[in-house]
Amino acid sequence: MIDFELSEEQQMIRDSVGAFARDEIRPAARPADESGAIPAPLVAKAWQFGFVSGAIPEKFGGGGDARSAVTGAIVAEELGFGDLSIAIHVLAPRLFAYPIVDMGTDDQRAKYLKRFSGADFAAATAAVMEPRFDFDLSALQVSARRDGGGFVLNGAKCYVPLAAESDSMLVYAATDAAKGFAGVDGFIVPRAAAGVTVSEREKNMGLKALATYELTLKDCRVGADARVGGDKGIDFSRLMSQSRVAFAALGVGVMNAAFEYARDYAKERKAFGVPIATKQAIAFILADMAIEIDAARLLVWEAAFKLDKGGDGLRESYLAKNYVAQSALKLTDNGVQVLGGHGYIREHPVEMWLRNARGFSAIDGIATV
Amino acid sequence: MKILVPIKRVPDPATTIRVLPDGTGIATDNVKWVINPFCEIAIEEALRIKEKQTGEVILVTVGQSTWQEQLRTGLAMGADRAILVKTDAALDSLAIAKILAKIAGDEKPDLIILGKQAIDDDANQVGQMVAEMLGWPQATFASKIEIAADKISVMREVDGGLETIAFKIPAVITADLRLNEPRYASLPGIMKARKKELKEIAADSLGVDLAPKLKVKTLAAPPKRQGGRKVASAQEMVSLLHTEAKVI
Repeated sequence: MIDFELSEEQQMIRDSVGAFARDEIRPAARPADESGAIPAPLVAKAWQFGFVSGAIPEKFGGGGDARSAVTGAIVAEELGFGDLSIAIHVLAPRLFAYPIVDMGTDDQRAKYLKRFSGADFAAATAAVMEPRFDFDLSALQVSARRDGGGFVLNGAKCYVPLAAESDSMLVYAATDAAKGFAGVDGFIVPRAAAGVTVSEREKNMGLKALATYELTLKDCRVGADARVGGDKGIDFSRLMSQSRVAFAALGVGVMNAAFEYARDYAKERKAFGVPIATKQAIAFILADMAIEIDAARLLVWEAAFKLDKGGDGLRESYLAKNYVAQSALKLTDNGVQVLGGHGYIREHPVEMWLRNARGFSAIDGIATV
Repeated sequence: MKILVPIKRVPDPATTIRVLPDGTGIATDNVKWVINPFCEIAIEEALRIKEKQTGEVILVTVGQSTWQEQLRTGLAMGADRAILVKTDAALDSLAIAKILAKIAGDEKPDLIILGKQAIDDDANQVGQMVAEMLGWPQATFASKIEIAADKISVMREVDGGLETIAFKIPAVITADLRLNEPRYASLPGIMKARKKELKEIAADSLGVDLAPKLKVKTLAAPPKRQGGRKVASAQEMVSLLHTEAKVI
């Protein structure tokens, strides 16, 4: 019943994406963090992997691969190992595409999925979070009111990745506030639509290379065909479970990055004539980090496995996400600690990972498997 | 154009290699196996030629059944089909070349592109031997390949510069480092690789003499590097080079 063996394909995906993350994303991470910009050639190269188009059906120009949350988690972990900002940037179009793949109407699939099969990166995104202290996924304040044949959207969103460069975005809004998750719908909103304002870029503590924006909707009118899934609507709870799994998997990658960096440093750095890794004070920290990573990964894989089996993955995805939010912060902090004074300076990436990891407990809904 | 690309499985260049205590080989536990980097370049070049024209890229390797993994990776990069010539024996370059020449005789490719050497034993022999056995022109250490109809011109990296040679197909080309930058296997490419043909042939069914002409007597790790030392002046340096290192 229990099998932790990756399939041959998953193993190859891990190797291929892992090599890309190690050799190309990682060296670009620090300059991107400093400049706030991710080099377009790197994004183009990532696009060639088919991270977005792979699971789009062939008749809509995609690779036609089966959607798998486990495979998605493997990809996300490797990309997160390279760099969290760059990973979210290259995966962001999934936020728009996958809900349409899974829950869209045939017309929506035909209209919106083809753009992801081209040779060039097609920016797209989704708006989930809201700038409120009492933000609650099951009680969204952005509302969609039925009006004639269509809907009118009002409210504000935040942490919307790539909003300024995406032609269309998916905006989640409450159509029936009394129904919780079930009362949430997704609407395809053109950025150029009347009533849509994309703010200045947000200034965040971490994820500095990732462009995120606030989005304001003021009497933004969309047609009935903008509602993902038509009258059937979407399973918002499931989409958010998928998102949590992806986000948690990215976090495992960040944890692994901090661990490997600290371990290698501790083997090199000498104090009192021996590598500090041979001192128990350091060795115990490293061992605990390794345990946390495997524990977190297993939680993520279990949640992904549940989703792949058709379950809602609600409980498991929350456990995974919350565990990762805590342990990513702890591990990246450990990374800084093992490097001592060197960990605090920007020559080493550990301080950047610590800043990035803080986001795991603060933000949600900006990644998907 | 039909292109045959022989590849070899080698330890990941990033792996720390440990020689077995008895010197008979290297410790293979915890070793990650990959396609030889020069072979990857050969695959990439074959794929680019195919994409520019039309044709077929056929991978071939000689080894154990686990070597399938590397063939699958090559198929995931975009090769059309693969042949595994199966043997558990450790063959030398000559035996490999004979097998490849036999496969080339059956497949009749227009071009054979392979890595200039494998990063494990650095023999740099197979490409040359195959060309000789087939009686085909060869261009080794290629850093640029241009094809016009059946004429090929190859820029080679030679001592002190570059040399361009031209010849007609069929031919053998060995790839140097600067020929191209190999692609990563994409997600859809990987998912499609399983559906592609991977044929297994037993090496001893080919009717080729595989008896080794070469025997590895012993393997040893390179000697540990000694730390350097500082000298006070240029005079002292020159004097030490003369009296101690005896190089001048």
